[in-house]
Parts: sequence; structure tokens; C-alpha cells
Amino acid sequence: MTEGERGGPTEAAVAEFAGLASDKQIDAAASALERNGVASFVVDSGEDARSSVRSILPIGAEVFNNTSRTLEALGIAEDIERSGLYQPLRPRLYQMDREMQGRELRQLAAAPDFVVGSVHAVTEEGSLLIASASGSQLGPLVSGAGHVIFVIGGQKIVPDVGAGLRRIQEYCFPLEDRRAREAYGVPSGVNNVLIINRSIAHGRISALLVRESLGF
Amino acid sequence: MSDEHRESMFDYDARPITPQVVLVGRRVSSLGYELRDFLSRNGVPYEWVELDDEDRVRRVLDGDAVDPSRLPICVLPDGRRLAGATVEQVASGLGMVTAPLLAEYDITIIGAGPAGLAAGVYAASEGLRTVAFEAVAPGGQAGTTSMIENYLGFPQGISGSELATRATAQARRFGAELVLARRLVDIAHEDDGYRARLSDGAEVRTRSVLAASGVDWRRLEVDGLDELLGAGVYYGAGPSEAVSCRGCRVAIVGGGNSAGQAVVRFSRYASRVTLLVRGSTLNTSMSQYLVSKVSELDNVEVRTGTEVVGVEADTRLRAVVLSSRDEPGRTRLPLESLFVCIGGVPRTRGLAAKGLALDDAGFILTGSDVTASPGALDTWPLARAPLPLETNQPGLFAAGDVRSGSIKRCSAAIGEGSMAVSLVHHRLAELGAEL
Repeated sequence: MTEGERGGPTEAAVAEFAGLASDKQIDAAASALERNGVASFVVDSGEDARSSVRSILPIGAEVFNNTSRTLEALGIAEDIERSGLYQPLRPRLYQMDREMQGRELRQLAAAPDFVVGSVHAVTEEGSLLIASASGSQLGPLVSGAGHVIFVIGGQKIVPDVGAGLRRIQEYCFPLEDRRAREAYGVPSGVNNVLIINRSIAHGRISALLVRESLGF
Repeated sequence: MSDEHRESMFDYDARPITPQVVLVGRRVSSLGYELRDFLSRNGVPYEWVELDDEDRVRRVLDGDAVDPSRLPICVLPDGRRLAGATVEQVASGLGMVTAPLLAEYDITIIGAGPAGLAAGVYAASEGLRTVAFEAVAPGGQAGTTSMIENYLGFPQGISGSELATRATAQARRFGAELVLARRLVDIAHEDDGYRARLSDGAEVRTRSVLAASGVDWRRLEVDGLDELLGAGVYYGAGPSEAVSCRGCRVAIVGGGNSAGQAVVRFSRYASRVTLLVRGSTLNTSMSQYLVSKVSELDNVEVRTGTEVVGVEADTRLRAVVLSSRDEPGRTRLPLESLFVCIGGVPRTRGLAAKGLALDDAGFILTGSDVTASPGALDTWPLARAPLPLETNQPGLFAAGDVRSGSIKRCSAAIGEGSMAVSLVHHRLAELGAEL
């Protein structure tokens, strides 16, 4: 918390967690994810990732895009919300009357056909780690959503789950906290952490690993 | 709990969606209200910037001067600005106004409320070439309903906007076209069918027409009221205004389900809601579940036998003057907003001039009511009588609130819209055009 209040991660955290992984590490993570039931694809650029997401999402699909700097920066959030090709859930949820439609809001957000989002760390052993302040996005990732697509910048690869948890706490959280304070005037929090070690339904989760730094 | 915390808890992962449209203006204006109502009912995220908020206005308009006679200013996603923006201009600027794809349809539906959407779903699912024209937003009056609790299959209720969103997606999935933000201007006989002309000049040929255009709110005849439209006086349930009524005093005029739904919605936001009912009881005009709900709300007062006879205002509404059957004299009710949800005036513009038989109140006659109406069949060309939902023009049907004798309920309108499609099949077979 103290790092966040000072306005960012420490130099040591930046040195350890902000650098782009080597091709070898990225390929190793992709292979490990495949072994763990996650369909994984390695692409060279963010633009390639955007095209891949377009090719995976069926026209007309109901899609929820999680809050993600990666998705926003690549234009994927805009593709989903504005292209008219899909049924985007986020605008629909946002227009709902918070007082009258709380139940519909919860139900719609809980089980979309597709979720597109990112993770905070992926390990070379093939685990995915996602933190969330509200926790609302984690249920659909575990089982609520029909399909999950993660777009993952190549700087998010860490050796193991322990390093992934440290990446969240020491690097992602201070940056997210600063962003939340600036954008919404409220602090963030590592209140919920999801670790996906294995997906039993092979192909339900797709991971697009990008050989570029994307998001944080 | 602060608004901020409420927002962050409910916003599924705390990013407010980027507004597609930014509007700069004075909240107290009828055009501003019309735009907010249009955008919110069509699910377009927008941000309203009040003209007095100079810092935000400067940021939004890059420091450019504002002409106060041309408000509101609408900033579109591509940066274009529309001064004195109208609903049609904003809809067009957002790419919401699409042209019909075909030159000819089997069925053209006028209005995408419950009856029109139901007809759209059934017609398209049965392979008919289907187009629906909607002037404002899918869902019609029911689309502004806070929670319909007696609609079959939704034991916890469903909001009107959610029902409309789902029905629209369903109609489109089956291939029905939904053309928004355009009004029907004229409809003319052509060969065995009709030619429909829209406000932008577009025309389509169609073998059958379903008038499902619903009703407008009845005007409240009170001196000075019309000048306050958007400045504290609103027609309809005003879903776009609910949040800005937080902590305010609100009155709703009407004794029907629409008024009851508005009471339930505003009671969640306003400090006090007064329901003003002309009749002596709610029980004859409102569904019992709504009567019960309204009576259970602590911040709601129901005044029966009461009419609005005057308004007090400066730049906006400040109070209404009431006359009650049970009390002599007049009383004054200070408030910030008045929502009028009374009755319904049938929307038959573009249809009525063509010899369409109407009842005394202007609702469209169909089926045996046409047969029983003197002179209504004088120009009827067929040997058979009009079909149950058919008007006195062959192949032109009516369903939902606009139809004379219809039950003014969402589920009844949906039933009629569905039923109309089977009658359209009958008509197409008669024309030898059945698929």
C-alpha cells in the first residue's frame, strides 16, 4: 500500500517485472499453458493480437471485456464495444439502473458467452494469475463464461507462482492503485487473486502471448 | 455509502465506460432532456456537462467559445461538434441511422415496442422479409418501465429496458431489420401492397404493414406547463432523470401502471415522491402488485381525487398547485420535478390520413370492430371480412396500444404482435406471395 501512496512501484520491482521476456521464455510459457489445457498462441505484435481476437470471436457473440489497459491500448476494447459486430455487455451493464436492476446486472455479468481480458502474471510453468479489487471479473473467468480470451504482454512472464504473486503486489498494484485514484478517486486493492493452474475443458481458455510489452 | 463507493462496487471491475457522446448544455431545457432520454433509452453512454461548470466545458471544447443560443453542444466520438443538436442529428452522427437493406419487404412494422418487437421476432423467424421502423428507442413505453413483475417466465421480474434489449437482439438474430430514429411520414397503396415513406425520404415497398406505433403521453392541460418542459416538467417515466433526482422532491401524475412504475423507480432516488391521482382509488387502474408496492414505500404519498391546476416557476418548476375533491380550496406542493404519466394518445401520424377507420378517441379499428363501424368498409375491395387484427385496409394490421380495444399491458401487446404474423401469412397466401 505504501508504494502506491507514494505513486508507483519501487525501482527494484520495475527492474524485476517490467522487462520483456525472452522468446525462449515466452515459448516455454506457451507450451506449459497448452499442457495445462489452455489453448495458447504466440503473436509478434499487439496488432496481431487484435486480429487474433477478431478471428476468435464469432460475429454476434455476447462479449464482456474486462477492464484492461492492454485491451484499451490495442483497440480491442473499442472493437468489442463499438464495432457493431458483437453484443457487448459492458455498455449494457453500464446503462442499467444501479438501484432497480442490481439483480439483472449481477446475472448478466456473471455468465457471458465470451470474456476478453488480461492477466497480471503468467508463469513459465503455465499458471495464470489475475488480481481484482472487486472480484467481479473472477467468477466468469473460473467457470461463468463460456470462453475466455486473455491477451498477455510478454513482460508478464515470471518463473513461478511465488514470483507472480510478488509481481501483483509489488509492481501491478502500485500502478493500478495510482490509476484508480486518478481515474475514479478511489484506491485499488489486491482483494482477490485467482490462480489458474489447469483448465479441465481444453480450449475454453485461450491465451494470446505477445512478444511486446503491453499494459502493466 | 457515498456514490463513489456505490459505483465502484457495482461497476464490474470499476471502469466507467468511456462516454460515446459528450453533451454540453443546461440540464433545464427540453432539447437537453429529449437528447438524454434518446441516448439513455438506446443504451448510448453519454456524459452531460453543465454549462456552469466552466473548467469542464473548457476541457471538453478545447477552450472554444460557446454560443448560448445554440445549446446543447454535442461532441461526437470522432470529435465533430453539433451546436443546437437535435435527436436526429445526434443519431445520424453516431451512425445509428441505417438505411433499409431491401427495396421490398413482406412485412413493415411501424414501432418497435413490445407488439412491434414480438412481430419482428416471429415474422423473421418464419422467414418473412421483415423491417421495423422506430422513431425513438426499442421497447416503447414498456422500455421505460422499472420492473415488470407479472411478465410470464420471469419470477423475479424483468426491467422494461432489459426486455427490450433482449427482444431487439432476438429479432435481429432472426434477420429482422430495425431502423432507428426515423418516423413514418406516409403510407400509400401500391399494387397489392403498400409503399412506406420515411422522414428522410427513404421508401420501401411492402406486402403488409403492422401498425404497432403505440401511444404518446396525454398532455396535462395546465396553464404554463408546456413552457416548463425539460425544466422540471417531463412526460413519461424519465429513466434518464432518475439519478439527478437523488434527494429531490418529485411528483408523478397518473393512476395507471406507468405511473406506478415511475413511483417505484423514483422512490429509490428522490427524498419524497407524491403520486397525484385524479380517480378516487388506484385499484381500478393499476395492477394490484404495484398498488401494494407503492403503498409499502415509506417516502411515497398517494393523493387520490387530486388534480394539478397550476404551476409556480422561475427559471424552472418550483411547485404545483393542487385541487382536491375532498378538501376545499387549493394546496401548494413544493417540488423539483413533475413527471406526467397519464393516459395515451394514439400515434397514427402517417397512417390516419389514408381513410384508416379510427374510433372516437383515435385508436385504430380492427376486425369485427371495422365491420360494425358504419361506412368503414365502403372502400373494402375483398369478398371476405377483415381478419381479426386487420384494419379497413387489406394487409394493413394493427397491434398493441394503438389498436382500439387492446388491453394496455405489455404481455397483451406481445401476444397481439405475435398473432398478427399469422394473419400476415394469411394475407400473403391470398396474394399468392406466400413463401
